Amino acid sequence: MKGFRALLKKDVWLMAAGKFFPMSLVFLILYTLYVNFGYVRFMEEPIYQVYLYDPQGTQGDASRLLHRVDSLEEMDAALLHDANAVGIDASTGEAQLILYGRTEEIDRHRADYALSLLEPSGSERAKVIGSNTPEQKARKEITCELLFFEIAAVGFLGIAAILFKEKSMGVIRVHAVLPIQKNLFLLSKLLLFLLCDLIFALLLTLLGVGVRDAVSLLPQVLLQTALLSLIMALTGLVCALLLKDFRQFTLAYLVIAIFAATPVFLVANTAVKLDWIRFHPFYHIYMGLKNAYFEMQEANIGYYLGCLAGIAVLFAAARYMFGREMRREG
Amino acid sequence: MKGLRYQLKSVLHDKFCLMTFLLPVIVAAALGLAGQIDFSSLGGTLSFGVLEEGISSHTAAWLNRYGTVMVYRTPGELADAVKEPSTNLIGVETAGNGIRTMVSGDELEIYLRTADTLPVLYERRNQAAEAKVQILERPGVMAGLGDMFAAAILIVAMFMGCTFNAMNMISEKEDGVAFVNEILPMTRRQYIVQKISVGFIFGCLSAVLTACICFRFSWKNMFLMLALIVLSVFVSALVGMLIGGASEGLMTGMVYIKVVMLLFMAVPILDFILGISQPVLSAVCYLVPSQATFEGILDLSAGGGAKAVKDIGILAGHCVGWSFLYMWVSGRRRSGITHTN
Repeated sequence: MKGFRALLKKDVWLMAAGKFFPMSLVFLILYTLYVNFGYVRFMEEPIYQVYLYDPQGTQGDASRLLHRVDSLEEMDAALLHDANAVGIDASTGEAQLILYGRTEEIDRHRADYALSLLEPSGSERAKVIGSNTPEQKARKEITCELLFFEIAAVGFLGIAAILFKEKSMGVIRVHAVLPIQKNLFLLSKLLLFLLCDLIFALLLTLLGVGVRDAVSLLPQVLLQTALLSLIMALTGLVCALLLKDFRQFTLAYLVIAIFAATPVFLVANTAVKLDWIRFHPFYHIYMGLKNAYFEMQEANIGYYLGCLAGIAVLFAAARYMFGREMRREG
Repeated sequence: MKGLRYQLKSVLHDKFCLMTFLLPVIVAAALGLAGQIDFSSLGGTLSFGVLEEGISSHTAAWLNRYGTVMVYRTPGELADAVKEPSTNLIGVETAGNGIRTMVSGDELEIYLRTADTLPVLYERRNQAAEAKVQILERPGVMAGLGDMFAAAILIVAMFMGCTFNAMNMISEKEDGVAFVNEILPMTRRQYIVQKISVGFIFGCLSAVLTACICFRFSWKNMFLMLALIVLSVFVSALVGMLIGGASEGLMTGMVYIKVVMLLFMAVPILDFILGISQPVLSAVCYLVPSQATFEGILDLSAGGGAKAVKDIGILAGHCVGWSFLYMWVSGRRRSGITHTN
């Protein structure tokens, strides 16, 4: 136990020397600012604006949602400025629609919607079956993406940076002759990164989603964060033990960032669907985190067993590689 | 020249370094192969969810005029699909002679208003068909999202010079080679030229190959593209040198690279998606060099050229600005070292 405490102390010192803590704090502040003052405001898309040119006043009953213009030039300028807008030219007494083309279906809808405003009807509302407002959805969505990115990147990179530092300092060689179990060397790092990730997830969720909404979803979010953190930290350890130096490691990082994360983000957050994505392990982990944020259906036992099996295999691989590294060192 | 030869030789021996430069080329090829991905669904297309036995084929055909219709077997499946946060699916059910819609409530306003007004549009479906519609064409209103991804990958290719230079300098510091460099018979200028050249040459090669895979240009636009690549890679190589100089260790270096990479990618993509039209905000975006590159690439891919010339001018300005910044920072660092000694 005393040896484990010493290892923990050494790893904390290494993380502090690598400026890991202030950097995490800076990223936490940056992400919080982005969620609260950037993303939530960006995510607004009003329905198409409709401009009406009606010099003879033939469309007296038109909806108040229509913007009346005094000339065709004014309408052209408005359409040019907002390519989604629709213009109605009623100067001949008959409504003619003018719009810049997008897709055939969208154009059809824009045209029919604009015409419907000429004869307003009762304000019927669609039935709402969800529990989130657009702002709550935006907050949860971006917080989930940032947390996934941060843990995938920093957990992976951070643990590797520490290990490469130790390699260069000859710490691994020293460990080969110390009467300490190999597992403890790996466990101390995993425990520290797990703790850091959990604290980061807790603070980011509270600051990004808001205290009131965050309380109910935190247990599931923290559970998913723990699984992701362990998997990423172990992957980072295996890669760091497998590769020669940190420069080579950055390539593995780029591969993960580009190949692994991009399709997952694309499928999980947009209407784009890729059939093969179900074979992508990151997709299931990301969806686990996302479902936790949106309090959707809980993952089944197969998912948890898969995660645990993955962690066990990665740990065994890291242990084997570490043993090999120690033998090589001396 | 001899020093540069050594630098190139060391890069060519480093397979992982070569892979770094080849990575965007591989991604571009993968994107070309994955041409079947339907990016149009990202462009605000409407989608409707209906029950298998819930609506008539006539209603389904009417909905199909506006967007995709997805069929679900049970009300529970339909409700789950409507609530799914990654989509903006509008549930549609028959209600008497008309239709009734349902939404999750967390959608953007455009989808909520569409769901609200859909029953009225259905009621007046015959009336609307009679109106005359004039659809205008406006080139470049919305470049394809495929082009946006290709442009983003090209920016990554150009950025590789920055990553390589930064990592190379940080590794030299970590391994102690930086101290050896101090006593080598090599002037500061020679060192800078050698370091920039390696990132620059390989960054250019990587970007040119990526551009060849992703785009087809006319001869004139090909030269404009080459100018965009050369200037962008030069700026990114300089940024890499600045990062390498400022980083004290691997971890800090990676964080700087991550921040710069995020900034380089996020600014042009956000500008593209949000369509920032405010002049001041638009000008602020151009402070990030990749904004000019991105705009230039999209202009060239749409067959234009005038805007790309303006973007080349902006990038030339960036080259001068970043060169001065590098010389100033480098001078300050050296005077700091001299004072310490």
